[in-house]
Amino acid sequence: MSTLLDAVHVKKTYRLGKVSVPVLRDASMEVRTGEWVAIVGSSGSGKSTLLHLLGGLDRADDDSGPIRFGGEDLRRFSARRENHYRNRDVGFVFQFYHLLPELSVLENAMLPALVGLSRLRWLSSRTALKDRASELLATCGLGHRLSHRPAELSGGERQRVAIARALINGPKVLLADEPTGNLDVKTGGGILDLLADRHAAGLTLVMVTHDAQVAARAQRRVRIEDGRVE
Amino acid sequence: MYAPLLANRYLTSRIIPFIAVAAVALCVALVIIVVSVMTGFLDMVRNSGKTLIGDVVITRDITGIPYYADLIAEIEATPEAEAASALVETYGLLQMPYGTGDGGSRIETVQVWGIDSASLDRVADFHDKLYWKKPTDALAKQLKPDDPRLDPEYQREEEGKSLMTRDGEPGLVLGIEISPFNRRTQDGSYRTENPGGRQDPGYFMPNAGSARLTLVPVSGSGNIIGEKKAAFRIVNEFQSGVYQIDAQRVLAPLDVVQRLLMLDESELKSRTELDENGRPKTIGRSPARATTIVVKAKPGFTPEQLRDSVNAAYKRFVTRSLEDPARIVKPPSLVTVATWEERLADLIGPVEKERELMRTLFSIVYLVCAALVLAIFWAIVQEKTRDIGILRAIGASRTGILWIFLRYGLLIGVAGSLLGVGLAWGIVARINDIHDMLGTPAPTWVKIAAWIAVIASIAMTVRGVLRASALQTVLWTFASIGLVLVGVVLFLHRGFLIWDPSVYYFSRIPSEIDAITAATTVIGGIIFSVIGASIPAARAADTDPVQSLRYE
Repeated sequence: MSTLLDAVHVKKTYRLGKVSVPVLRDASMEVRTGEWVAIVGSSGSGKSTLLHLLGGLDRADDDSGPIRFGGEDLRRFSARRENHYRNRDVGFVFQFYHLLPELSVLENAMLPALVGLSRLRWLSSRTALKDRASELLATCGLGHRLSHRPAELSGGERQRVAIARALINGPKVLLADEPTGNLDVKTGGGILDLLADRHAAGLTLVMVTHDAQVAARAQRRVRIEDGRVE
Repeated sequence: MYAPLLANRYLTSRIIPFIAVAAVALCVALVIIVVSVMTGFLDMVRNSGKTLIGDVVITRDITGIPYYADLIAEIEATPEAEAASALVETYGLLQMPYGTGDGGSRIETVQVWGIDSASLDRVADFHDKLYWKKPTDALAKQLKPDDPRLDPEYQREEEGKSLMTRDGEPGLVLGIEISPFNRRTQDGSYRTENPGGRQDPGYFMPNAGSARLTLVPVSGSGNIIGEKKAAFRIVNEFQSGVYQIDAQRVLAPLDVVQRLLMLDESELKSRTELDENGRPKTIGRSPARATTIVVKAKPGFTPEQLRDSVNAAYKRFVTRSLEDPARIVKPPSLVTVATWEERLADLIGPVEKERELMRTLFSIVYLVCAALVLAIFWAIVQEKTRDIGILRAIGASRTGILWIFLRYGLLIGVAGSLLGVGLAWGIVARINDIHDMLGTPAPTWVKIAAWIAVIASIAMTVRGVLRASALQTVLWTFASIGLVLVGVVLFLHRGFLIWDPSVYYFSRIPSEIDAITAATTVIGGIIFSVIGASIPAARAADTDPVQSLRYE
């Protein structure tokens, strides 16, 4: 299996006023295509920060080592390429779902596809896109909830919508930050089953969790403590 | 494609954008209403002034212009002039045919115009200004059954047009506001009411008898020659729409006024030679004179073009008169020739300045509009920080985020401005009805409805207290206080007049939207809404997605 995503001696420091807080001191890891990796560690260890850096949501320190996607250094990405990377190459799933409350389930799921579409292309591909989103939501068990608003859904259902949204553009890797952290064990199990199905279908998964049972579902675990990958 | 979807959805699914739309609408409506009324007022001043005096006016003092018929012919021969008419303007005392209660007659100070009815009609549409005439079929259908104009007794159109009674006696046409028994109703028409407030043809001036007019002729050297009195039948009344004119002006036949002021044709006596009886010798005829010539321009010519043409015509007229030995009396070389705007400059100028001042002052409202949108958008962006983080996480660009909020501001500007135009149109079009409503006591059913609303509101407040809902309690308490105030005001209200015709010249408030003002205000409202949205939009575009997504 080829390397899809790798981080080499990555550093990240947050500045809170005049105080510098180093979060990642020396984090290196590698994710291969088709792999399911769990990043585990205690609270505040820097695992979410590493996930954000891998997804291009945040930038590492200037003296940090590179983060590469398919061999491309994320630091060299232009703003346009960075947006494209977040839109097409990776998909995000967050602990608190982060759905847009004004949009329906179907619209939330379609949103990343809409980001990349002009009005003209939207007119020509509207039906196909709706069909694709509906189908995806159906596979997530939400075929009967397309017109509902997020407020009308349970926590598990919201997370399924978030997963459908992350998958709509067919990303090469799904980055999940505590995807079951806000759910009960049974509902969380359902979400993990869904992720497992997608992984079985060939999707690369990187999942942040502090729960050992959840991490056990992954093929490989990477432990991070005090900003360093062990 | 996500930007329009989100902008539209943000606009329609929350209350806060509607507050922004309402704020923009109120700002836009405020500007349009104020400037439209001012512009309408200015237009009314201009139009009324123009219809009363034509496009250009030649004036001379009380010594008048001789051979004015020749001058009128000279003017009407120019390509710029449509028609001209001679007037004699003076002041006089009018003894009205109604008592003061002690057996005497009330005397009004009036501005007297001696007119030639037919030619003044050609210049200034005089016949259209006569009030008591047979209404057209279309108008008759709109009038109330007790409208005096439907009563043949009131229809004195022909007498008004000729300024003459059916018996051939000279008549007067009074301004409609001179008689205190003409009461203007809410729809702007007049009723003739007796002192008891009842419709009464007995107090209709053309039925009421004779009025006595006293004029004071003045010699060329400025000395008062003596008072001249004449009794006239009142044959009709006129309405120009300008209160000051309608309350002061009296129209009489030109020849009669000329005779009373000693401006009619007469024998011309020598100052040095005496006849065989030792009296000043008659050396010829002194022609009749007019103090004013009003001229109407032909279509396509401006008042300024006509003024220049009239000036040239007058010079030709003077030259020819000076060269004509048969004309013993020479016309004055110095007269005032002015356009109607120049003549009314002292009235139009201040109104124009006031309008521009209002326009400038109310332009500040645009800044208020921008500040309101900015404040509201700042709150929206604050509230939407997480959404912005999500959008950045799924690949939305900074420009895309910026555009969402600019588009959002644009939508609020467009919706608010159009709503503002609608609101302004609704108010301006019905402004006289609103004014009339304020001017009369509220009907009983409105008072009862207001107090029922008070009781209902208090009941809702109690419900809020019982349910321990602070929001409901506070809202309904404010509503109750407001409704109680409305109820008390309705109970105490006896009607009050805001637009006093004696102050504002016109009997009706201008009720036309000024299209240019409306268009510029709408554009201004939209631009300032976008400006107000731009700073929060830029802040949204700069939002760090990690920070905004970090915590729920």
